[in-house]
Amino acid sequence: MKFVLFPLDPVHDVALKMLNRELLKRGHQTVLLPPDTKMEEVVEICQREIPDFIMVSRTVGYGAAELLARFIDVLDAAGLRKKCKVVVGGKAITKKLAAELGYDAGFGERTSWEEVIAYVEGGKFEGEKVTIRKTKRDITCGYTYEVRDGTFKELLDKITDQILDWAKDRTSPGIERAKIKEKMLEGEHLLEEYLRLCDEVVVSYFRKNVLPKKVRLITEEERKKFERLVREINFDGKILRHGLDKPLVFVQYGTGCPFMDAMHIKVSEAWGADGVLHFDPSWGARCEGLLEGSLAHEEDGSIITLENLKLIKSALSDSTLWCVRAHRGLNTPEIVLLAAHAGADLTKINMVYGSLNGGTDPERLTVDGVYALQLSAKYKLPYDIPTNEELGGVPAHKAFAGMLVVAHLGVKLGARPILKPLFCYSPDVMINDYMKDNYVDYNVAKILALRRIMDAPIWPGEPIGFMTHTEDRVQSAMTTALHAALASSLGLDAITIASTDEAYARGAISVTARIDTLRAIAEAFRFFGHAKIEPTKKAEEYADKILNGIYETLKKVAERQDFVAALYEGLFGTREEGANPGRAGRGTVRKC
Amino acid sequence: MIERIVDAIDIETTLLSKDEEDAKNTAIQYLRSLGFKDVDVVFVEHTGFASRIRLRAYVFRPGDKYAWIFGGDA
Repeated sequence: MKFVLFPLDPVHDVALKMLNRELLKRGHQTVLLPPDTKMEEVVEICQREIPDFIMVSRTVGYGAAELLARFIDVLDAAGLRKKCKVVVGGKAITKKLAAELGYDAGFGERTSWEEVIAYVEGGKFEGEKVTIRKTKRDITCGYTYEVRDGTFKELLDKITDQILDWAKDRTSPGIERAKIKEKMLEGEHLLEEYLRLCDEVVVSYFRKNVLPKKVRLITEEERKKFERLVREINFDGKILRHGLDKPLVFVQYGTGCPFMDAMHIKVSEAWGADGVLHFDPSWGARCEGLLEGSLAHEEDGSIITLENLKLIKSALSDSTLWCVRAHRGLNTPEIVLLAAHAGADLTKINMVYGSLNGGTDPERLTVDGVYALQLSAKYKLPYDIPTNEELGGVPAHKAFAGMLVVAHLGVKLGARPILKPLFCYSPDVMINDYMKDNYVDYNVAKILALRRIMDAPIWPGEPIGFMTHTEDRVQSAMTTALHAALASSLGLDAITIASTDEAYARGAISVTARIDTLRAIAEAFRFFGHAKIEPTKKAEEYADKILNGIYETLKKVAERQDFVAALYEGLFGTREEGANPGRAGRGTVRKC
Repeated sequence: MIERIVDAIDIETTLLSKDEEDAKNTAIQYLRSLGFKDVDVVFVEHTGFASRIRLRAYVFRPGDKYAWIFGGDA
C-alpha cells in the first residue's frame, strides 16, 4: 500500500516518523512530508501519488479543528477524498473530533503504532496489554540479623538479657487482656473477665451500648453495599519501580472510617502501592481495652476492632502487604493478636518510641512490648520499629540505639524485625545544620551506620521526607519522590510515603493527594532507574558520628543495667531533647 | 471573585468511573452545570474503576478583554 504522511503542525512529526519506519519495514511505500508543508503542496503530491492513505498528524491544540477541517475541504475539492482514506492522529485529536470533521479514523494521545498499523492493514488490534502479576513479598527474607560488630553485640546482648530477665515475672492488664482475648477468639465466653481489665469507656460500650464520642456503628446495609462495590472493583496491577527490585512502596491510612480507608487503599493499589499501614486513633492508645464491631470514627485514625480489620482485609488485593500498628499504647499485645487473626502481614512495635513520644509509661510498655514481641514471633508477623521520636527532637543516634535494642530483643524471642529509620528534616538536624547543603548526606549516613551494625531489612518511614513537606501539592509530591529515589538508590527494602496532604492538618487526606504522590514517585523511579544518587564526603563523617553516638548510648544503657530506668532517666533521649516518658498505664505493672 | 481570576479555574478530583470517556463526560457535564462555557479536561488517568482528573474552565482566554485590568468592570 502507498501512504502519504503529513504533519499538519509547525514542528511535531515524531509519531509520523515512527509510523513511517514501521510502514517501510512492512513493505509499504511511503512519502513522508516535513512539518509546515503547505496544504496545496500536499494536495499536489497526493494527486501525483494517489496513496491508499493520507496520514495527517496534529500535536498543537490551537486551531486544530479549523485546520483539519480546511484540509478535508481541500482534499475534497481536489477530488482526493473519494480516492484515498484520510486518517488523523496526534495529541490534539480525539476519535469524536476526527469523525465530526469527516476523517476516516482518528487516533488520540497514547495510541501505539501497532494500533494504527492494524487499522490500515485491516487487521485486528489485540493491544499490547501486559498483565502484571504482583506477588506478596516477605521484606525480611534473606536477612540474618547478625550483629556485625562484636562490641555492639555484647552491649545489645547485655541490655536485652536484662530486659527479658526483668519482664519474666511481670504482667499488666494489657498482657492479661491479650491472654483472655486469645481464648475468646478460640470460642470461650470470657467477656466479663475481659471487661474487668478495661476502662469505663469500653465497659460502657459493652454493658450500656454507649458509643465513645464521634464514633458510630456501621449498619449492616452499608456493609453489604460496600462489599458489593469492592467486589466490582477491578484494575490492572501496576509496579512503580521501573524495573528495580526495591523498594516496596507503602501508604499509611487511617481516615477514621473503614469504608473510606478501603477506598483509599483500592485507589493506592491501582496507582501502584505495594502495601498499606493501619493507623488507629491516638485516644485508642491511652484506653485500656478495645471495642468490638464495625465502627466509624469522625476524626483521624481508624478504630481497631477485629470486625474493622476484617472489613479492611476484605478489600485488600492478594498482593498487598498489610501492617497494623500496635506499638505505642496500652493495647499493644492485643493488637498484635487481632492483627494476626485478621490476616495482617506485619505489625509495628517499638516500646522506646511508644514510651518516650507515644504517651505510654515506659515500665508498662516494656513489659507489654516483650509480650507483644512474643506474639509477633508466635504468629509469624514481622514487625517494624519506627523511630519517630526523632521528630520530637531526639537525636538519630539515640533513637537508633532504642530501635536496635528492640530489634535484637525481637530476634532473641524468635521474631523478625525491620529497622525503620526516618528520612526527615528533624529538629536535631535543623539545630546542628546537618542538612544545610542537602537532604542526602545525613539520610545516607543513617543507612550506612545501621548497615554497619546489623544485617536487617531497612524500611525508611514514616513517612519519608518528614518535615520537608509543605501544603503545596507540587512541592510535597516532589520532596517525597526525591526521598523515594534516595531510598531506591540505597537499595532499601521499602518506604512509607506521604500523600501530598502530608503538611495539611485541617482535614482528612484526600484520595487525590495519594494518587499525586504515587505518580510522582513512579516518575522519580523512572528518572533514576539504576542510576545512583551520589552523596558528598559528609555522609561518611555523619555515619561515623551516628555510629559512635549509638555505641555511647548503648554503653550507658548497658552500664545502667536497667532498661526501664534508662528510659525514665533520659538515656534514650532527654526531656530537653523532646523525649517525655509517658504516663498512660503508670503503676499497672505487677509481679506474677 | 471570578473577575480577578487571571485565566482559568482548575478542578482536580478522583472519580469512580467505568472508563476514561465516562470520567470526561461526567466532568464536562459537571463544569457546564456550574455555569462555565469554555471547559476542557486537561488530564485524565483511568485505572479500571477510578479516574484522576483535572478539569479546566477558562474565564479568560488570551486576547479577551480581561476584567482584572478594569478592576472588575469588563
